[in-house]
Amino acid sequence: MLPLVSLTIFTPLVGALLIAFVPRDRPQLTRWVAFATTLVTLGWSLVMLAGFSTSASGFQFTEDVPWIPFFGIRYQVGVDGISLILIVLTTLLTAISVLASFRPIQDRVKEYMITFLVLEIGMVGVFAALDLFLFYVFWEVVLVPMYLIIGIWGGANRIYATIKFMLYTLVGSLLMLVGILATAFEYHASTGVWSFAYQDLAGFHFSPALQVFAFVTFFLAFAIKVPMFPFHTWLPDAHVEAPTAGSVILAGVLLKLGGYGFIRYSLPLYPDAAHTFAPAIIALSVIAIIYGAVVAVVQPDFKKLVAYSSVSHMGFVTLGIFVFQSQAMQGAVFQMVNHGLITGALFLCVGVIYERTHDRRFANLGGLAGRLPLYATTLGFFMLASAGLPGLSGFVGEFLVLIGTFAVAPLVAGIAAIVMVLGATYLFYMFQQVVFVDLSDFLKGLGDHLHDMAPIEIATLVPLAALVLLLGLFPAPVLDMIQGPVSGVLDHVSHGVALGFLP
Amino acid sequence: MNAGDVTAILPLAATWGLAFLVILVDVIVPGRDRLASGIATLGALVVMGITAAVATQVPQQAFGGAYVLDQLTVLLDLLFLSIAVLTLLYAPDYLRPRRLPLAEFSATLLFAISGAMLVSAARDLLVLFLGLELLVLPGYLLAGFAKRDGLSTEGAIKYFLLGSFSSAVFLFGLAYVWGVTGTTNVSGVSSALQAVAAGHPLSPGLAMGLAFLMSGVAFKVAAVPFHYWTPDAYQGSPTPVTGYLSVGPKVAAFALILRLFVGALAPVKADWVAAVVILAALTMTLGNLVALTQTNVKRMLAYSSIAHTGYILVGLAAYAGAAPGSEAEARGLQGILIYAVAYTFMNLGAFAVVAALQRRPGVTSDLQTFAGLGRRAPLAGLLMTLFLISLTGIPPTAGFFAKAYVILAAIQAGGIVAWLAVLAVLNAAAAAFYYLRVVVYMYMREAPEAAPPVARGFELQAGLAIAAVATIVIGLFPNSLIAIAEAAAKALL
Repeated sequence: MLPLVSLTIFTPLVGALLIAFVPRDRPQLTRWVAFATTLVTLGWSLVMLAGFSTSASGFQFTEDVPWIPFFGIRYQVGVDGISLILIVLTTLLTAISVLASFRPIQDRVKEYMITFLVLEIGMVGVFAALDLFLFYVFWEVVLVPMYLIIGIWGGANRIYATIKFMLYTLVGSLLMLVGILATAFEYHASTGVWSFAYQDLAGFHFSPALQVFAFVTFFLAFAIKVPMFPFHTWLPDAHVEAPTAGSVILAGVLLKLGGYGFIRYSLPLYPDAAHTFAPAIIALSVIAIIYGAVVAVVQPDFKKLVAYSSVSHMGFVTLGIFVFQSQAMQGAVFQMVNHGLITGALFLCVGVIYERTHDRRFANLGGLAGRLPLYATTLGFFMLASAGLPGLSGFVGEFLVLIGTFAVAPLVAGIAAIVMVLGATYLFYMFQQVVFVDLSDFLKGLGDHLHDMAPIEIATLVPLAALVLLLGLFPAPVLDMIQGPVSGVLDHVSHGVALGFLP
Repeated sequence: MNAGDVTAILPLAATWGLAFLVILVDVIVPGRDRLASGIATLGALVVMGITAAVATQVPQQAFGGAYVLDQLTVLLDLLFLSIAVLTLLYAPDYLRPRRLPLAEFSATLLFAISGAMLVSAARDLLVLFLGLELLVLPGYLLAGFAKRDGLSTEGAIKYFLLGSFSSAVFLFGLAYVWGVTGTTNVSGVSSALQAVAAGHPLSPGLAMGLAFLMSGVAFKVAAVPFHYWTPDAYQGSPTPVTGYLSVGPKVAAFALILRLFVGALAPVKADWVAAVVILAALTMTLGNLVALTQTNVKRMLAYSSIAHTGYILVGLAAYAGAAPGSEAEARGLQGILIYAVAYTFMNLGAFAVVAALQRRPGVTSDLQTFAGLGRRAPLAGLLMTLFLISLTGIPPTAGFFAKAYVILAAIQAGGIVAWLAVLAVLNAAAAAFYYLRVVVYMYMREAPEAAPPVARGFELQAGLAIAAVATIVIGLFPNSLIAIAEAAAKALL
């Protein structure tokens, strides 16, 4: 049997090496090699999806090879429903992002494509790793390519943004390294065996002190990545300065790493600490939902608005995770997928208009409905999906989170539901400013530059639109996949009890 | 002296022989710089082969136990010889355009390396001191090697004055220890101290001795607050020399610590652990904070090397803080060794790129020199990025694994030392800022018009390849290094 997980992880590496040998004066060839690589990678992940059994419990397609035997560190990868759906999301969005970079990226194409493919290795690896040490390695591998993508191919203020992004995420992840090592050490101290394997560590009853310490370090790493209020301040800068494809990946995949980390590691490994901190995290999530929405309302910049809406939408994810309720957590996972598709698409839409105008301020936009009808329709579709229109996928995730939360904490659910109105406010405002009102003088001055979407742009958006519609109407296949793993995680959590603060 | 003695000192004797051979070649055929440095490089590789060959017959002793060839000696000797080989490979492209004599450089370097090798094998206080002096005296020469350059001379004088002062302080400390224990033999000192340590507070004499030894060693490893000579000496020296100074004497000083503090002063380690913890915390933090503000890459790397000293000291603190005989004790020592190996390759690699950029005389090591390097010389830019990522401690590189190792050791040691682990990673995050600033210049700024050419001599490329491969391989497949470090640590305990 093929090592499908490893193939998915390392196919981009092969592609990156191939591109290294493509002559510098053949950028078009470079682009196609990169795109073909991402398609092959997507293919591998789809093969996994096809062969995945929703009824089987535990991890599938596992591979297990000793890596550093002195510490029981293994190259151990595999997928369950949650990680597989996120891997498919990753490979899909990477392929779309590479396609979306064909035109905007004209400078250093070779370096760009190599960086992007290396980024994909890290992202898929994080979702597939079943060894905590390996997970950390992939987690950090993500960092440097993203740093370069924002810093080299980003906008005017890119250096500030990329250093801020790097330092924020690095502080979080380095502390997590201490947490990981402390966890493995305590496991070693009580069993006499070194292991970083998820299956060994999950459900192992770590001492309260370790749980609190490790949970806090993990929380910092994940909360910065999600990002949760008040660790979100790197996000608007990074998004605004990143090139379009960078934003798509940042919003579509990188933010999910945090949510995934909570579900996969924070809860099963440190259930007591999770119970202890859950109220505070729920409060932060609600703040993020409200705050992201309120700040989005007043943004004068198209891209910044979408960036802040991410803070709000990801608040639903963390809320759904930390109420420890089955439907809510399924909703959280579903919301991660949705947010990847919808916000990814919205950033692509921002990119489409930016390509033509090199401006994203609402003051200079407007009236596109008449000039770019196809674009206006597409934007409208994703805007409605983001607002949570029933029948589109955005609705399913938020609805599940809300009913799940309502069963546990009605007040919180009530507040979150009311805030969804705010979400509609800024999205409709955005749509109005961009698509309706009068065509601005600035846009009139662009003349023929302002043409409707090109085939390649349509090609990037159509698959996303189709999936949003499909998942909105038939969420069951995805929910079936994530149901089993979610109940597994909740099973671990249910053994936890809140610790007296502090132990 | 018997046959066993000969095998034991073979690596050291071969290095000396090689140094004399280089001088001889230079005298017989003057002006053939390339020949001399080629002989030195190949010779050093041969000595590495010899060292690896005698490694199968350890442990051995010579001169009545004053000199020992064990797993630790072998590991350190191989490391020192690697430093020599890499430095010799990097030097020609920098020294030749500046008309600095390569043959003299090679011979001086080999003498310094032989001093380091003597330190790594010494089991006697006086031999330790002898090795130390043999190490640092050629170091002063190397620092002032560009003798018509004011900065080089200034750096060398500062290095010399503080270096001799610290040697004197160190010798003073040795004298106290000898006075208390009545022997200069390392195992003799250790057993004498065992009796002293049994429940009694330290005698004033021994306390004085420990304080002087600690200060002297802190000077040599450039730990804060004994680091003031480092930035000037590093910035002023010719770049390949700076590369050497940042690893050679530092690793040798840690060899000295292993032989002296771990070998001889272990019974009273409860009395010096606090000093190491404080030194480690100060060194990491101050080194990084000051490095943040530097705009000259050589000076930045000088301060960052101080920070790395701090990380290695965390390993020592883990050893000292752990209960005697515990696993954490060995883990700390392994951490020191693994970090030293990783640091050697990544730091020398970074300095090699700096040297390559400074091929044309007069080119400074200012950050501006790095502008647009990613486009001008993609490979040099890529390698520099690799070394900087490794120095930052991001996987999958040697620097990451080494850092994880000392952190794990610190966690295992527990207590106050465990908090050093947290401090170490916070420092690593701060360090990311200044390391990655170089990446910003290389990739995110455009090169000025008429940017100076980048050296691409064969030796330099070979040396860079070695450093890069080592940086990646240690990061991805550290198993054999761990095994070697475990054996070396076992030899010491």
